[in-house]
Amino acid sequence: MNSSAGENKADAGCEFQENLEILRQIDFFAGLPIETLKVFAYLCARETYQAGDFLFTQDDDDGQAFYLISGDAILAHEVDGTEIKVRRFTPGAFLGSLALLGSMPRLFSLKAADTVVCLVLTREKFTKSIEQFPELMPRLLKSVVVGIRSWEKRHMLEMAARGVSLEEMAGISAL
Amino acid sequence: MAKPDAAVVKRSLFSWVFGPNTKLQLLLLVLIAITVFARVLPLEMQKRIVNEAIRLRNVDLLINYCAIYLVSVVSASLLKYIINSIQVIISQRTLARMREGLFAHIISLPLSFFRNTQPGMVVSSIVSELALPSNFVGMALAVPVINLLTLMAFAGYLFWLNPWLAALSLSIYPAVIFLVPLLQRRVNVANKKRVDLTRRLSDKVAESISGIHEIHGNGAYSIENRKVGSIIKRLYRIRLRWDLLRAGVKTSNNFFTSLGPFIVFILGGYLTIQGQLELGALVAFLSAQEKLYDPWKELIQFYQSYQDGRVGYDKTMSYFDAEPDYDLIPEKRDPLELEGMVEVKNLTFATGDGLKLLDNISLSLNPGDHLALIGFSGSGKSTLAQCIGQLYAYTGGQVLLGNAEVNALTKRDIVQNMGFVSQSPFIFDGTIEENLLYACEAMNGDRSDASQPSLDDKIQVLHQTGLFTDTLRFGLNTIFNPGQDDHLVEQLIRVRKNFQGQFGDSLAQYVEFFDENRYLVHSSVAANLLFGSPNREQFKGAQLAANAYFLEFLNQADLQRPLIELGADLTRQTIDILGNLPPDKVFFEQSPIAPEELDTFKALAGQTRRKKLHQLDETDRAKLLELALRFTPGRHKMVSFPKLLERLILEGRALFKEKISTDDPGAFSFYDNEQYIFSQTIQNNIFFGKTTTTNMKAQDKIVQSIIHLLIEEDLLETIVRIGMQYQVGSKGDKLSGGQRQKLAIARVFLKSPRLLIMDEATSALDNKSQARIQNFLDTRLKGKATVIAVVHRLDIIKNFDQVAVMKAGKLMEIGTYEDLMAHKGVLYELVSGRK
Repeated sequence: MNSSAGENKADAGCEFQENLEILRQIDFFAGLPIETLKVFAYLCARETYQAGDFLFTQDDDDGQAFYLISGDAILAHEVDGTEIKVRRFTPGAFLGSLALLGSMPRLFSLKAADTVVCLVLTREKFTKSIEQFPELMPRLLKSVVVGIRSWEKRHMLEMAARGVSLEEMAGISAL
Repeated sequence: MAKPDAAVVKRSLFSWVFGPNTKLQLLLLVLIAITVFARVLPLEMQKRIVNEAIRLRNVDLLINYCAIYLVSVVSASLLKYIINSIQVIISQRTLARMREGLFAHIISLPLSFFRNTQPGMVVSSIVSELALPSNFVGMALAVPVINLLTLMAFAGYLFWLNPWLAALSLSIYPAVIFLVPLLQRRVNVANKKRVDLTRRLSDKVAESISGIHEIHGNGAYSIENRKVGSIIKRLYRIRLRWDLLRAGVKTSNNFFTSLGPFIVFILGGYLTIQGQLELGALVAFLSAQEKLYDPWKELIQFYQSYQDGRVGYDKTMSYFDAEPDYDLIPEKRDPLELEGMVEVKNLTFATGDGLKLLDNISLSLNPGDHLALIGFSGSGKSTLAQCIGQLYAYTGGQVLLGNAEVNALTKRDIVQNMGFVSQSPFIFDGTIEENLLYACEAMNGDRSDASQPSLDDKIQVLHQTGLFTDTLRFGLNTIFNPGQDDHLVEQLIRVRKNFQGQFGDSLAQYVEFFDENRYLVHSSVAANLLFGSPNREQFKGAQLAANAYFLEFLNQADLQRPLIELGADLTRQTIDILGNLPPDKVFFEQSPIAPEELDTFKALAGQTRRKKLHQLDETDRAKLLELALRFTPGRHKMVSFPKLLERLILEGRALFKEKISTDDPGAFSFYDNEQYIFSQTIQNNIFFGKTTTTNMKAQDKIVQSIIHLLIEEDLLETIVRIGMQYQVGSKGDKLSGGQRQKLAIARVFLKSPRLLIMDEATSALDNKSQARIQNFLDTRLKGKATVIAVVHRLDIIKNFDQVAVMKAGKLMEIGTYEDLMAHKGVLYELVSGRK
């Protein structure tokens, strides 16, 4: 799975540097100082999933965040045995920042649509690192708050575009 | 375990002198009597040699007296040695007994005692503070008796020689007897302070070390140094004072006693000149006088040891003078076999300052009923479980287990019938198997007739708790020594063949096979070069980088400089990322530098920035080379691995094989698909390669295939048995949090208790493991064992017979899940709120 490193592109810079570049582009991490990002870039693992493999499954509290480097993944929700496709993620997507911050049994499953290569950070690694830089927690919280607001805003706009009433459907960020 | 002597802390220091030591002490007395006689005899001989043999010029007499002199001196020394030895035996035996007794007493004390007692305090009490008291016990009889007798014998002899002279020269001693205790009082004050400060030092050091994560995390080195440093300085001052005062006692004693000869010379000399005293008598007098010092000195020393020992003993014993809440084993009866019925009536548990943690709780469970206790943290649900489990002594109301009052039962009655899994279970240093047997062995105690759990039982609980796969993994990660189990090794080669036949393709993406023509990204540079396991010590591990033969080969293969360069790069990059992080496994798992080497390499990183590589000294270059040899590109991602170097290493591999095969053909066993590789784990041997993934799901897939293969060869149990020998590390720190919890549950399951209390026992487990254990409780234990589970997750409580909701120490509601939900009370709020 991690065998991509060192095989053919060894001279093209190391995995650590590539990870660092990726993290700097992710909103959740973007505001962090470089020495912290280095620790995260070092702790990230690269994983490959074959089409049909689950990156995470509903109800599991796996505590991982994923950045899709290549390949698509499909988010689905299962109710009483029927699977509802929620959305498709393409390379460049970052999922699971909330799972890094605290225990969060998954409300969805994420399945590889084709061969997916992604960067994975676990909650254990994240928490242990952030303990070393406690002054950064407020910045992360800020980016989570911004994230939640923009999610709901987008949600509302989408609902409105589809002509769905917002009654009893929105207002999560107001809680 | 023997019943600990409950009165150990109440015993006086003198009570240790006899007891089991009585026989030895009596033997001492007999030996002492002989010794005293053997000590006085030479004096008389001395007198006779001068007065009779020499004056009468009688050689026969001289030889006779000298022979008697010699014999008595030799036997006195010999006896003294025997007496000393017996004293040492007595004091060491006493020390061992005191330690055992005190430790047994301390661990039986109630949990509340340990809230205010630091581990360091207990350690210093048991390890160091008891040495002085037990030292005293060894001397307690022998030293005063032998010295007083000797003193009296010499004094009597002096009086017999010349009463006047004797009386005068002995007149010094009363002065000493008056003075020494005065000084000693100040010594004792200093000693008490010393004991207190030593304890505080142990406490503080123990606290700092347990908080080492926090210290590293905050870089709080100077704060801790200051805290400990101030205690050390005070201890230094008090110890100095203590030792100086002790020396003072000794010196003043020496001074007074050395006045003795002065009196004898001036008075005895005068008497001899006057012809009133024979010269022989004067010589004998002087000798006898001199011989008074030793016993006297020893008596004073004895007095000091007594005072030091008494102070240390009293301080230690009085600190731990508390009562255990419960007897450990029942007297004059077997442990009770209780019905699994639980009846809680008006239970109240209040703290010392009157805060009610549990307030008037009543509930009842029939044998085999399962109860879930839920509520917010601080609601008292854990406290209730702990009161039922006899971990805390409740202050009001009743808890009945099969109609027996819990507070009135002994600990043995409880463990016989109950299993308790605590919130943060403790795993002890040792193997998985030893930890599995912990609860069973404790329950069986000293009874030899108790049946031991079989291998099947153990494997069954490993399955029930989901620890089976973990244990299997430990087994698969074992490295065998050549010759350890040849039969198994053969079987494993067969498993390898089957693996390649059945799973070689489907698992190929997760395995990097040992292929002579490919660079192994998941093996170290050293492994890539050697491509075999060394049969000679000098090629193993860290010694390789210092091996002259190997270094010569590296030069020949043009590898030395590029590897040192790689080592320097690795050092700088790793230090840049990890330089300021604490020594946590999470940070160092993917690092070629181990946490304990961090400082060395930090210095090296600085060196490589300031100097060119050829300017570094030999040891630094060797360190960099050693690091480069560990480099595993698949794991250590912080540097790029030049393609050229990879090709050079592959070339080097072939060159090394050629070279060593001519120079020392037996030195290596090169990787060969037909041979077992003794430097690799069982799993790597089965794969004939290494796994390339750390992903849990992929690892599960791998383990499932291995299980399949092992079953085919009937090896599964063998490997699990090997896995059970895995050393879990101190406090189980080589296990994950989930594994520790599963192990804690497994050890209680293994004794299959009639009543099972689980205090958030599955909180660190993933969903699947939690569901597995819940499923086991629901299907296998329902109706057989009474279960009380403190639960933090509401999605697993549906199958419990009763659910009790607690809030602020009170029982809000209790009933079946359906009833409570229908009733729309507190549970309904909790459940719907969570959803």
